[in-house]
Amino acid sequence: MIDFTRRKVLGVAGGTVVGEVSPTGTIERAAADDASDLNLFVKISAALTGIGEKRLAPDVDPIQVKHDYFNQAKSDPGFEPLMQIARAAPDANSAAEKIMNNADPQIKFLGRSIILAWYLGVWYEPTVLAQVPAPFPVNPMKVVSPVAYTQGWVWRVAQAHPMGYSEQRFGYWSDEPLSLDDFIKNPVKP
Amino acid sequence: MRNRQTLAIGFAVVLAADMFARSTWAQAPTTADKINPPVANCNMTKDFVVISNPSDPAHQTFQSQPVTAALLKSGQPCHQVADNKSGLFGDNGLANLQHGFDFYSWLTFVALNSPADGKIIGKGLRPGGDAQTMWESLKNYRPLADVMLADGSKPTWGTRNVPPPCKKLDGPGKIVLQVGEASWNQPFKTGPLIDQDSNYALFDILMNKPMFDFIVQNGLYSKQGQERFDNDIIFPSGENPKGATPGKMGAVMVKVSWRILDAAKDKDLMSKFHTADALVFFPGPPATKAGPACVEKKLGLIGFHVGHKTLFAPQWVWTSFEHVNNVPTEADVAAGTLLDRYSFFDKNCKDCSRNVTPPDPWDPPTSLKFHSEHRSQVVRTKILPGPVVSEVQDLNRDFRAVLKGTVWENYELLTTQWPSDHASKTDCNGAPAPTYMANTTLETYSQGRVPLASSSCMSCHGNATTQHVPATPSDFTFILEKAQCENGKCGPPAAGKQSAKSNCGFAVTAPR
Repeated sequence: MIDFTRRKVLGVAGGTVVGEVSPTGTIERAAADDASDLNLFVKISAALTGIGEKRLAPDVDPIQVKHDYFNQAKSDPGFEPLMQIARAAPDANSAAEKIMNNADPQIKFLGRSIILAWYLGVWYEPTVLAQVPAPFPVNPMKVVSPVAYTQGWVWRVAQAHPMGYSEQRFGYWSDEPLSLDDFIKNPVKP
Repeated sequence: MRNRQTLAIGFAVVLAADMFARSTWAQAPTTADKINPPVANCNMTKDFVVISNPSDPAHQTFQSQPVTAALLKSGQPCHQVADNKSGLFGDNGLANLQHGFDFYSWLTFVALNSPADGKIIGKGLRPGGDAQTMWESLKNYRPLADVMLADGSKPTWGTRNVPPPCKKLDGPGKIVLQVGEASWNQPFKTGPLIDQDSNYALFDILMNKPMFDFIVQNGLYSKQGQERFDNDIIFPSGENPKGATPGKMGAVMVKVSWRILDAAKDKDLMSKFHTADALVFFPGPPATKAGPACVEKKLGLIGFHVGHKTLFAPQWVWTSFEHVNNVPTEADVAAGTLLDRYSFFDKNCKDCSRNVTPPDPWDPPTSLKFHSEHRSQVVRTKILPGPVVSEVQDLNRDFRAVLKGTVWENYELLTTQWPSDHASKTDCNGAPAPTYMANTTLETYSQGRVPLASSSCMSCHGNATTQHVPATPSDFTFILEKAQCENGKCGPPAAGKQSAKSNCGFAVTAPR
């Protein structure tokens, strides 16, 4: 029989990455704080990328790529200052405005890295993006995860799919591509 | 929270009076719906019950459905009852739906593995309460070899086909398992699975009558028939009764895996496995290198995979069970918490490479013994999200408890893969949840979490096609690829039609 406890709900809510939750109260609180930050991160990501929050992270989301980007961004020293701006701002759009025009390059370029991660599935170090003149190619960079490779929004914006991976059915290549709205604007069920 | 819940249960009024709800449609099937006829007893038991507090009617809590012996005779679900996005796991829709699907899978397992004679599961006359199951009865299911016949002729329901070399070995209750590449080679031709006694594991695919009838009535049992068919392939869906509309079972396919048991050496295992006396038929070239020949083997069930097409799952619902003694998990190996004996793992072999394909040649001889000393050393790779594992473990514990003392207590659900966005236009696989799933006996060598390369029922079956030229999607089944040429002769392909233009090719049902 299911034991419906806060611990269990948190554990399940954590999805693929948060996973198992320690029975200690401290870690429970940390997990709850983390979940709250994760939600805020998705809101800010939606404002930064221009793609709907429910598209980036659907309510029923088995893929959970948001965790990959969240954890990657969290490892950057600019993450906490960026989140402080997000927490203090009246809404996600104004937070995004403050992040992208921030005088502190640590914050400003972390915002750019987050945008690039969602679109390309690739993490570009903010310190490298901040270099003037911009280096080409931009190194170091890395594909955030196998999931991130297939989930880059650039493919959907292009009404296409990543190399070697398509979710369309057999023979789709002889059909007209679906509309851009189908890829990026339609509200996600449920 | 716990106190509040306990209080609520104390004042509980169980709203789900339909705990073991079954529909009760009795009218005869109409001629217009011969393929997918009305079903009299769709099992609509929910995975949870709603508890309300009379002093606070607005406040409801959820409790998991008690798993009692009554569930063992509650029947087969026609459709998953997994439509609650809030419930046992609060407002975590993914977790609530997953639990609903996993509960559906256990009900399906119990129903399909109940004795063919109508008894309750585990009440058969053989050791461990074993018996011939519903899916082994030709009244209910047909093996693939009985549908895609060698000469491409029209199959008939109810005819038991015993190949000539097997006739002298035939007897009551025996099943015929025809060897072909799909009966020993893993998906993507990644090789056979060899047990610790050096025997090949064997696989078989079966289908229910709605699926059989759809194939037959549309002439899809031969290559030429598939050429002539000029519509999208859309197998019938299972659905629960709604208003005056009766329930229907829809297309169901079963894939099973077996290990060979030795009557003397494995005597102690007989009460731990569901077994079958099988006539293993080698048709001979080109289907098999060995044969024609027929050998008799005692088989023990090690894997049980079900695909069920349902109304809100045009990508089908995928259920996967295994025998608990198949293999250890990675965590078991790391912790050294190993059983004395596994079918596909030797705990004393420290140097054995894990999850590797056997050396060539792979084609089985009629002895079904592998040619070299190689034994499969298989470990279950961690694929599923931890919370899914935990939720399934709870269900397994409860169902195995009510099956205690029977062979069926030795089987466990891995999980259920289902479409989390079944109506998506851009993801025809419906965003499978969980993304990856692998049965260690059926997808041994493709366990993992790498897109396209790792096992995912829906992503893989989404690529299945007919033998039409050019190929057309075959609605998530590879069964149609097994069709042969009529009378052994294939003419030039008919004028090809283009692939369908209706997005993902299935009728989209409105969101839940």
